[in-house]
Amino acid sequence: MIGAGYLLITALIWATIIAFSWGLAKYLKKVYENEKTFLDKILNPLENFIYRILGIDRSKRMGWKEYFLSLFVFSVFSAAISFVVLAFQGMLPLNPMKFPGMSWSLALNTAMSISSNTNLQHYNGGSSLSYLGQMVGIQFLQFTSASSGIVVAVAIFRGFAGKRDNNRNLGNFYTDMVRTMTRVLLPLTLILSLILIGLGVPQSLSGYSLVRTISGSFELIKVGPVSSLVSIMQLGTNGGGYYGANSANPFQNPSPITNYIELGAMMLIPTSMPFLFGQMLHKKGEGRTILIASYGLYAIDLAIALIPLTTLGPGMETRFGGFSTVLYTVTTTAFTTGSVNTALAAMHPLVILAAFLGMMIQATPGGIGVGAMYMLMYVIITVFIVGLMAGRTPEYLGAKITANDVKLAIIAFLAHPIIILVPTAIAYATGAVHTIGLGKGPVGFTQILYEYTSAAANNGSDFLGSTGNTVFFNVSTGIVMWAGRFIPIFIMLAIAGRMSGKKRSTEVALRTDNLIFPAILIVSILILAVLTFFPFLVVGPILMHLEGIRNAL
Amino acid sequence: MKKGNLISSTLRLALVLAVICGLVYPVVVTGIGQAFFPYQANGDLAHLGNATIGSYLIGQSTNNSHYLFNVRNDSASGVDPDITVSSALAQARVIHNSTNISIAYLDSLIHNNTRYSMFFFGTAYVDSLSLNIQIINHFHNSIAVYGKIYDRVNHH
Amino acid sequence: MSFRHETREERINWPFVLKDSLVRMSPVRLIDNTVMFVVELSFLIVLLMTIAPGAFPGLAHQSDRIFYAYVTAILFVTVWFSTISDSFAEARSRASAASLKKLEKEGNAKRIRVKENGERTIESVGSSDLRKGDIILIEKGDLVPIDAEVSEGIAMLDESLLTGESAGVRKSKGDTIIGGSTVVSDSIVAVVNVNPDETYISKLVKMVESSERPKTPNEVALSILLIGLTGVFTIILVALIALSLLLNLGADLSVLIALYVCLLPTTIGALLPAIGISGITRMSRNSIIAKSGKAIETAGDADVILLDKTGTITVGNRRAHEFIPLGSHTERELAEASFLSSWNDDTPEGRSIVELAFTKKFVPKEYDALREGVHEEFSAVTRRSGITLVDSDDFTLPKGGKEFFQRHRFRKKFELQTRLNEETTIHKGAPEAIKESARSCPDNYDETVKKISSEGGTPIAVSVNGDIIGLIYFKDVIKPGIRDRILGLRRMGIRPVMITGDHPLTARNIAGEVGIDEFVAQAKPETKYQKVKDEQAENRVVAMIGDGTNDAPALAAADVGLAMASGTYAAKDAANMVDLESNPSKIIDVVMLGKQLLMTRGAVTTFSITNDVAKYFAIVPVMFASIPALDALNILRLTPHIAVLSALIFNAIVIPALIPIALRGTKFRPQSTLRIFLKNLFIYGVGGVLLPFAAIKLIAMLLVIIGGII
Repeated sequence: MIGAGYLLITALIWATIIAFSWGLAKYLKKVYENEKTFLDKILNPLENFIYRILGIDRSKRMGWKEYFLSLFVFSVFSAAISFVVLAFQGMLPLNPMKFPGMSWSLALNTAMSISSNTNLQHYNGGSSLSYLGQMVGIQFLQFTSASSGIVVAVAIFRGFAGKRDNNRNLGNFYTDMVRTMTRVLLPLTLILSLILIGLGVPQSLSGYSLVRTISGSFELIKVGPVSSLVSIMQLGTNGGGYYGANSANPFQNPSPITNYIELGAMMLIPTSMPFLFGQMLHKKGEGRTILIASYGLYAIDLAIALIPLTTLGPGMETRFGGFSTVLYTVTTTAFTTGSVNTALAAMHPLVILAAFLGMMIQATPGGIGVGAMYMLMYVIITVFIVGLMAGRTPEYLGAKITANDVKLAIIAFLAHPIIILVPTAIAYATGAVHTIGLGKGPVGFTQILYEYTSAAANNGSDFLGSTGNTVFFNVSTGIVMWAGRFIPIFIMLAIAGRMSGKKRSTEVALRTDNLIFPAILIVSILILAVLTFFPFLVVGPILMHLEGIRNAL
Repeated sequence: MKKGNLISSTLRLALVLAVICGLVYPVVVTGIGQAFFPYQANGDLAHLGNATIGSYLIGQSTNNSHYLFNVRNDSASGVDPDITVSSALAQARVIHNSTNISIAYLDSLIHNNTRYSMFFFGTAYVDSLSLNIQIINHFHNSIAVYGKIYDRVNHH
Repeated sequence: MSFRHETREERINWPFVLKDSLVRMSPVRLIDNTVMFVVELSFLIVLLMTIAPGAFPGLAHQSDRIFYAYVTAILFVTVWFSTISDSFAEARSRASAASLKKLEKEGNAKRIRVKENGERTIESVGSSDLRKGDIILIEKGDLVPIDAEVSEGIAMLDESLLTGESAGVRKSKGDTIIGGSTVVSDSIVAVVNVNPDETYISKLVKMVESSERPKTPNEVALSILLIGLTGVFTIILVALIALSLLLNLGADLSVLIALYVCLLPTTIGALLPAIGISGITRMSRNSIIAKSGKAIETAGDADVILLDKTGTITVGNRRAHEFIPLGSHTERELAEASFLSSWNDDTPEGRSIVELAFTKKFVPKEYDALREGVHEEFSAVTRRSGITLVDSDDFTLPKGGKEFFQRHRFRKKFELQTRLNEETTIHKGAPEAIKESARSCPDNYDETVKKISSEGGTPIAVSVNGDIIGLIYFKDVIKPGIRDRILGLRRMGIRPVMITGDHPLTARNIAGEVGIDEFVAQAKPETKYQKVKDEQAENRVVAMIGDGTNDAPALAAADVGLAMASGTYAAKDAANMVDLESNPSKIIDVVMLGKQLLMTRGAVTTFSITNDVAKYFAIVPVMFASIPALDALNILRLTPHIAVLSALIFNAIVIPALIPIALRGTKFRPQSTLRIFLKNLFIYGVGGVLLPFAAIKLIAMLLVIIGGII
């Protein structure tokens, strides 16, 4: 049994994060509804300067297509900048360690990975990336993919809130992006970076130094701009660490206190999204529904992971102990962040099962911005299936859910199993799995299924790490990550565009803002996820568990 | 919507943000960090005498010696400096046998450096490098093996 | 649900069901139903496995051919069950149409030809030869040959064949008569207003018979959901086949297909068409013509129902309830004066005064003088009516009863005997109007008038030769049971609004009595339209009934408009449903039927999806022959072939088992939406998860026993 102390700590973290998120959401609402804040005096001139550089009309409202297109083209350009930096870092400045450029496929995989908020890492940053690579190749994309997630959520919330002039209603992509950076992400990361530095995370640009240890051997002290990267990778649910071992590396995560701060950091913005939703809609109960459903699923994930009594063992870090490691692993998949403070192979199959659930559902509460987006997709499907039983055409927020909405939501739902299962089968069929030394048993299958599930869910945690650095896995996961990112965003923006133009009835047949609906939502999501992935989980982690395999080490 | 505008504006946005988020922000954080927390910002460097011998955060393998605390070799990061208190107490017996340092001294050293994974409960652990440095500092004049290490790093 | 179930004799044509269900299994017919089409494809694949297992290397085994044959058979039956449900619903629908057709049988009609000199001749023609605009004579005992509008005369008609309502209906000039009804007294002349193939019955028959029924919006959305789920499970099937081969998991293709078919939403896929057909059938059985299935579905979404007070909430018009004599006058004096003043008053109110006086045995001795009396018609200027008569005696009391009120014929029987030359003038009318013209007025007159009004009644004053002698208390008669139905509407979250031309005070009382909060009093013809628009501006779905030409714009604007068959053509054209029984309160039933259809679809869908959990637990543990460790998941403890067969059998027999629910609808009483929803969720959701565990285990045990016997 898990001791009461562990549960108390978990409850304390949840309560703290929920309280902070609530406050943050109030601020976010001001940011996205252009209300006055104390930062205006400093930031308005800066933002105006940026708008002049961009040459945009700031008052222009965008429809969902233009909003998506702007986001997509922007993502292509930012990924391209990163690709160039990563592939050619050897010739570029800020490379005191003289690391060479990445291979084309690895640079492509990395650029697509970070720009899609996945942060699957087939490279070991600490021993292969220059400072410029870490800063412009990785950290810049971690900012843009995080802010993309937030602005997509905000645009979708605006659509769901409705009441705006038809089809020009999702807001302005440029101002949303710029304001997200200047007013949300940069201030938050600045504060978090400084806290982390104070607690021992390095932040330096002076190069690695070589020291002689007490046993006489030589050691590289791999310091760099670690704290600035860790803060955005956690706040932005990116998860791509400075080092190969990610947040298991003591420089990235030196102590239990930094561990909990980093844990809380990745929960903060995703948790604030349901509150923001409720506030933007002026229907706080609807936001509460999403929060309860996503935290309910998170709790179920955690309960599954805690069935085996996990104690400190091989593949874990001493300073975190067993419980914090499991909590972190579940949380990083539940929020689809993907940073890890352990070796996944050290985890019990049931912990891996819980991790799978988080990535298959993607709304538990899910990644920054997109978690709330996926939850809205599930809401639409659930409202449609069960809502008929209330004897009326199903409605959400007073708008009728019609055939086209169902069609879009189903396509978004369908995309996920396709982009996971098809490449998994191809990886076996082409022998790509064999070339990296994995077998056909449940352990190997679990790792390959995890790779594509993580890529599709834009999570980024994986078993493979740098063993995945083959052209096949680089390219296939790259495609899966972008498909997993942009197909659902495209569809949900389309749904938001439709929602914005819909008539809203004031009479409600099936309330979605009570305590019953989130319970139905949870069950419906679990059934949908179980129906889709159960056979594959059975031959993966469940079989590992049944065969008595304790870990994949 | 004009395609030309969209392409040039999004490209400019990408470039502007690459500069702000990729360069300005980390440089500013580095500046502030180095100014206010120079010790932490440079990696919690550990010293023995005048010499830098590593970082307190990075574990050092001691080649299974009988006079120093050894790190675990199967941690996730591979460089975990921490060992559990029970492991430290067991290793203290070995060190006592080979160096004659009193058990009482080693036990109290371990207890004084003990931390917990859950702050006040959970896994009890100590930083092996920190223990080793304290032992070497304390005994480099009285016990030969420690003196040898001290001299080697300082006359490098 | 207060809809009737079996009003007409209907026989299901079983040979038709059998033949039609097999014809429907043709892939060309089935392709519209994605789920069942895919099941049929699966059937063909397993059939091929049975015939040539060698064609499926690594996925089929020669030794399992008997098992494949069983699977093939069950898959065939699954598809067949689904087409049977369609055919059965269709047959029921046809039976219902056939019974309607009987009413349309060819008969003779008496067409009136008007010659140039104005002379009329009558010619006998077949009813199908009648055309719009023809003038016909219908005499006592005749069947009305076709829909028409009365142009001369008054007659009693029996519409019971058509509507099931046995009471006679009085039809006079301007009323619509429906083909198929019978004239039971007198004769009338009417103008045909439709061509033979445009009559209500033929429209109804056409609608019921048409198999090309366009899908309603929710059906379309549900079909898309089912296609989506089919897509999900197809991906799973393909991935499982691939992985089983690549990872050497040893799965048999027939087992994977069985799992696939079990997971597919076959229950709802099979029953969806039948549910749709049943909606139309049930409407037609209750004599409502819906112009589309969409209209019924929209009715289920109604937020507001505009209810006409008269006819819906109250029975017809106000009725005289009490005589209140004033001053020194007695009740007898007042009642007799009222009787006399109302004898020639053809309004329902007037008739009710006579009836009240008669039942209270206040029949005046001046009765036989009435024939000579001078009647003063009601005029809007004076707001009163009256009679001046010369007093006489020696009259004969009629026997009473029903005949008494058929005054036209009754009057002829009694001749004037003696004449006394004493003139009496009796007036009755609005209290203010009577007071104005009266010589004297009792002290408590105003007070009593006010009291009656405040109770929701209507006072009518009566004066004799200028002296006010008392008041008649008029009251609305609430329809029996209407209060409960209003309550039912409110429980379901639908807001009833009462529309009436009455004074607000009266309206409030009636509304209060039946539990309606909102009413529109002193409504003018355009008020309804405005109310519809106002509610729609607030994004509410509005249902209403109407019969007059004045109602047409409102009926057209309303989301659900139910017109009365007895109403004008303009109204019927504008509405999207017509009630042949002309019973306005049926709008409530239409709304409930709409809701019930949606609930049935939702319930069967939920059941279909939640069933999958148990089916997974039955099949997945035995799916991979090479992985014995999975036996730990085999919570039903079934052997591989038995597990697959029992899950498939359960999957198949659930379809016919649910046909009654598909056709009748889920149980439904007007309750709060949340309670209905939770109840359905519990039965079909929780039940859907648990039931198949038990059922599959039971079927498995039976299979083992049968296997043992054989």
